[in-house]
Amino acid sequence: MKESTMPHQNGDYAVKVSGLTKSYGKVQALRGVDLMIEQGEIFGFLGPNGAGKTTTIRCMLDSIRPDRGRIELLGFDPQDQPIPVQARTGYLPGEMQFYENLTAERQLRFFNDMRGNSADWDYVRQLADRLSLDLTIQIKNLSKGNKQKVGVIQALMHRPQLLLLDEPTSGLDPLMQQLVLSLLREINQEGSTIFFSSHIMSEVEQIADRVGIIRFGQIVEVADTSTLTQRALFRLTVRFKRSVELSQLSGIPGVELLSQERNMIAKFQITGDLEAFVQALGTTPVMGLETERLSLEETFLSYYKE
Amino acid sequence: MNRIGTTFRHTYFQMKGQIIGWGLGLALLGLIIVPFYDIFGGQQDQFQQLIENYPEELLAFFGGDMTSVLTPIGYLKMYAFSMLPIIFGIFSVMAGSGLLLKDEEHGRLDLIVSHPVGRTSLFFGRFLGFTGAAISILLIGWLGFCILLGQSSLDMTWGQLAVPFVSLLVQLVIYAALATLLSMILPKRSLAAMITGVVLVISYFVSSLVALDDRLELAAKFLPHNYYQVVLSFQELNLTWLFALLGISMGMVLLAWWLFLCRDIRISGEGSWKLPKMLLKH
Repeated sequence: MKESTMPHQNGDYAVKVSGLTKSYGKVQALRGVDLMIEQGEIFGFLGPNGAGKTTTIRCMLDSIRPDRGRIELLGFDPQDQPIPVQARTGYLPGEMQFYENLTAERQLRFFNDMRGNSADWDYVRQLADRLSLDLTIQIKNLSKGNKQKVGVIQALMHRPQLLLLDEPTSGLDPLMQQLVLSLLREINQEGSTIFFSSHIMSEVEQIADRVGIIRFGQIVEVADTSTLTQRALFRLTVRFKRSVELSQLSGIPGVELLSQERNMIAKFQITGDLEAFVQALGTTPVMGLETERLSLEETFLSYYKE
Repeated sequence: MNRIGTTFRHTYFQMKGQIIGWGLGLALLGLIIVPFYDIFGGQQDQFQQLIENYPEELLAFFGGDMTSVLTPIGYLKMYAFSMLPIIFGIFSVMAGSGLLLKDEEHGRLDLIVSHPVGRTSLFFGRFLGFTGAAISILLIGWLGFCILLGQSSLDMTWGQLAVPFVSLLVQLVIYAALATLLSMILPKRSLAAMITGVVLVISYFVSSLVALDDRLELAAKFLPHNYYQVVLSFQELNLTWLFALLGISMGMVLLAWWLFLCRDIRISGEGSWKLPKMLLKH
């Protein structure tokens, strides 16, 4: 199942991860993760909760120490040289927590101070305006979505070379999700590399150049987003004129019977070539046929069934 | 160095409420205690009688002894300084245990360490921030003791009155260092604070009661309060004790720093010990 983890062409890599292993006691969170992400790329990192997305990102930032493996971010090893990595990186954690009594502006100034005042404050105000965030409000009075906006601004405010975002649109309404995605696209056009984890497939489909799928701490696939979305994974609903023996269809390799009603209406999922299924269908009294190309989300979920 | 400075500044200003609260409390104590000495001195005979009627254990508990309680330093020791390590020890324990764990348990430390500060700068900046806050509290308190000193018959200078505060500061530093070290070892801030608090209380009681029971002497030697000195000049101050306590504090701080360098930063809700589960099984 695992394809190449190499990017499209040789070039400078923003992220190089090889053989990354991390355990929490007996729980093995990462089991030899390999990733190569080119500079200027937008890389979507997909996986369900507990798959190892956050652990991978936190290893990259030296928040946690891997048991084995090697990481290189923008040419630096974050374990040996965390500061150059952190100075060039913007990070948005999955769980956003701030000092509740500070205003959004004070909180952002605190982070800016920690970065040696490297942020352009006009840019911060511009981001806040675009995200409709009032910087004078205390954090404790902000909604989850607005706190997320503060997090997005702190990750972007110093125009980082590399963005590591753990579910960046979490808690945002659909309009704001689109706005954040367009912001990410703009930043990417300015040259930043974006590595973001998500389990919202639509946003990955929208902006990612490539997608990596992680399951049980292992990369199961790295591919172009378009390759993944074009992968032949169909869902067909077939209406028969009369009751038929469905096992002749569901027995074809790559065909899975999802549901059926009195052997007259059946829903199939087909991986790969449709030819054998269509041929077999030709021998049955078909009344109607509906096909549906699966979204990336469904394609992705199909991995987790195996 | 700039990164330590930034962290120090933020830690110090985050503690401004505690500096003002604890500092003003101590200053207020000084403003009451210092002029009260004249009333105390004026009614010396009655107080002498009263003190003689106190049980020996009670006097030991307040750190006083019959012979010196009517002298200025004996008076200050009994009515103010004897209790200060335990009262301000609470501040030290809470600040020390929460130096990094407070942010970690609230899930903020993960984001903070992702900034280009470095764990070493973060750790020492914060510990220095605490030390700065402790110095500020004691400074405000000392001023409170000094303001009415001229109007009282306590025969001492502002400088002399500063000496016991130096010893008190060292006590605060050692308890904060212990709390910080335990916070790096134990899974919860509350556990680190609780154990350091127990050490603080035991230290106070054992060192106070050693006057009544010689058998406690050996135990007292291993407890910080035994080396707390309420004296009025640097000549009287046992510098070996002072620097030994500072050295031990430094050792604990360095060990805590090393543990902080090596460990994973937890995000909110993550634990590191399976002890409770193990205990439940058996």
